[in-house]
Amino acid sequence: MTDSILRIQNLTIDYVVGAGTFHAVRNVSLDMSPGRVLGIVGETGCGKSTLAHAIPRLLSEPPAKIVSGSIVLQGIDLLQIPKWKLPMVRGTGIGMIFQEPINSLNPSYRIYDQLAEAVRIRRLRELGLTRRGSIDLEPFDYARSKTPKTLDVLTHAVVPTTRLGGKWRRARVDDEEIRAAVLEYLKLVRINDPETILQLYPHELSGGMRQRVMIAMALSGKPTLLIADEPTSALDITIQAQVLTLMKELMNEVKTSILFISHDLGVIAEMADEIGVMYAGSLVETGPVAEVFESPRHPYTKALLRSAPNKYKDEGPLPSLPGSVPNLSQLPPGCPFHPRCILAREVCREGSSPPLAPPKEAPESTHRAACYFSEEVATLP
Amino acid sequence: MGDGTAVVRDEGAWTRRRRFLTAAAKGFLRVMRANPLTFIGFIMVVIIAVLALLILVVPPISQVLLGHAVSILPYDPVIGDCPPALYNAAGNCAYPPSGTHVLGTDNLNRDMFSRVLAALPLDLFIGFTVTGFALLVGGGLGLVAGFWDTPRTLGGFVSAVIMRVTDIFLAFPSLVLALAIAASLGRGTGPSILAILFTWWPYYVRLVRGEVLAVKHQPYVVAARAAGVSNLRILFRHVLRNVIEPVVVYYTLDVGTVIVTFSTISFIGIGVPLNVPEWGNMVLGYETYLLSYPWTILSAGAAIFVTVLALSLLGDGLRDVLDPRSRRVLAQAALPSTLAGVSAAKAPG
Repeated sequence: MTDSILRIQNLTIDYVVGAGTFHAVRNVSLDMSPGRVLGIVGETGCGKSTLAHAIPRLLSEPPAKIVSGSIVLQGIDLLQIPKWKLPMVRGTGIGMIFQEPINSLNPSYRIYDQLAEAVRIRRLRELGLTRRGSIDLEPFDYARSKTPKTLDVLTHAVVPTTRLGGKWRRARVDDEEIRAAVLEYLKLVRINDPETILQLYPHELSGGMRQRVMIAMALSGKPTLLIADEPTSALDITIQAQVLTLMKELMNEVKTSILFISHDLGVIAEMADEIGVMYAGSLVETGPVAEVFESPRHPYTKALLRSAPNKYKDEGPLPSLPGSVPNLSQLPPGCPFHPRCILAREVCREGSSPPLAPPKEAPESTHRAACYFSEEVATLP
Repeated sequence: MGDGTAVVRDEGAWTRRRRFLTAAAKGFLRVMRANPLTFIGFIMVVIIAVLALLILVVPPISQVLLGHAVSILPYDPVIGDCPPALYNAAGNCAYPPSGTHVLGTDNLNRDMFSRVLAALPLDLFIGFTVTGFALLVGGGLGLVAGFWDTPRTLGGFVSAVIMRVTDIFLAFPSLVLALAIAASLGRGTGPSILAILFTWWPYYVRLVRGEVLAVKHQPYVVAARAAGVSNLRILFRHVLRNVIEPVVVYYTLDVGTVIVTFSTISFIGIGVPLNVPEWGNMVLGYETYLLSYPWTILSAGAAIFVTVLALSLLGDGLRDVLDPRSRRVLAQAALPSTLAGVSAAKAPG
């Protein structure tokens, strides 16, 4: 896996607050190959969002503190480059879709202004008109895009029309081109009548529309990696379905790599190629979606799958997992899941947590679980 | 539908800009119609500003053009002796408001209407310079202190220094501090303006810093960061724009406070000399005649009241204009009630 888009190794993130140190992300390693969708699933407070925000370095530090590890995006270690270079990575390197579409658009600007800002950033960087130079990252492959019209506008190189005096200060990208691109992106996210939408303020749009605008904004940076941090959690169920359908369609149209974060197993099953299950800040199981859903190798994954409702038959009350998620400031020694695990033995209660390991009979497999007794998981109810 | 872009391209940026300006003007009128008080405030402010300008520029211009200075002040000195009925116990005489003296005359038989108008440019100047300076300096420092406040960084250090200095200033009642500074600088209009300038900005630091702290962690600011917007642009475009609203409201109300504070300094005898017309000066100077010649103190007080009222009415309206959310509410209020109901029902949740 040398051609990975994103490689995270041994990432550990703490929140240092008055009440103590919370280990939000512990020793997480993951690899993303180009064009694939990695879904991260886990309960509330298991560190999913912290992980998502840490990749483009959007965590406010303090209180967050990246203790160790590396986040390498196409050969660039985002934890090593100087802070002032980070804006160059965001937007065009890593795009992000947030959990709260309601508050993620600036209430004071029209939709046009906000989208135009993102488009303009991309254009200026493409033209090398940024003051701080650029960082070499591959934009995602629009050549495979199915909509030729989109392709035409989005990849069209623009010559700045008003470059007077200094190189950077007067660098402008033609307004007409930006407007055309903005309209294209709004059409791309299936917004009817984009001309009208452009003139509206965020509060005049519904939640679903705002999330579409957010998606358009993230796509307009043509990011190497797109992070979707629970993009549908704040929406009601009908709109969720619409937004998910849209994202699914867009995934086929624009072949970008996506890190999709959700607490909803169904959503992940629908969207992702690979899955990572998080529990108490650690990845407990990773692998291709089908394999993980068919034959989970970690007792937590098994329990999680068992507690998902089945819409075809009424099986009475859903089974639930006894106990609760450990306090992230006082994690038990050994495997973090052992207090709730029926397979737990002496070895699970001491030392550090078990490493992610492939099954013994298939050491090359990408389906890996952090459990000493992963072979026994299949026997669980 | 599909050719929407082509149509737009033909139109040209300037046409669109002109259309935007027309729309903005229409929106402005709509807000004014929807909120008549704002409109009244706006008209009052315009009249006050024009008057002040005329008072300042007409004499020198007429001097050049006509050879002698013409003032627009209806100065109309009382000639001859005062009718015995108007004398009070202390032996002063003043005319009550009448056709010749709209606001009456004071104890030295000076026309009150002229005095009130003559004070207008000075008072507006004081009000706007002091608050303007406070807004620029205090607001700027507040932005810096609020935006770069991470502990254990250079920004955090600068922020801490700014806030501690501000605290020191705030520890003294601003009037006492202003008095001390004015006293040490000596009597006069200039020194007392300087004294207030020096004590007024810390309130703006506090206000702006608080607002910046509240705004800078809003999801839309994080989203803008995620889109690759640079730090300075985040500050000026995304943070400042959302901070400016409460600050503008505070600012317009503050102009009146400054005028009143300035008059207090004058009253103690440190500010402008008593013979210079200045509203606060007049209010406090005529205090003794509150019962015998009430029109003197009342007309000076009314001048302050009207100016402050005009500014605060306008300030309220400005907040509505600056906040797109309330602008929409206003626009709906302007519609006939049935229409408003329909558009509210059609509005996406």
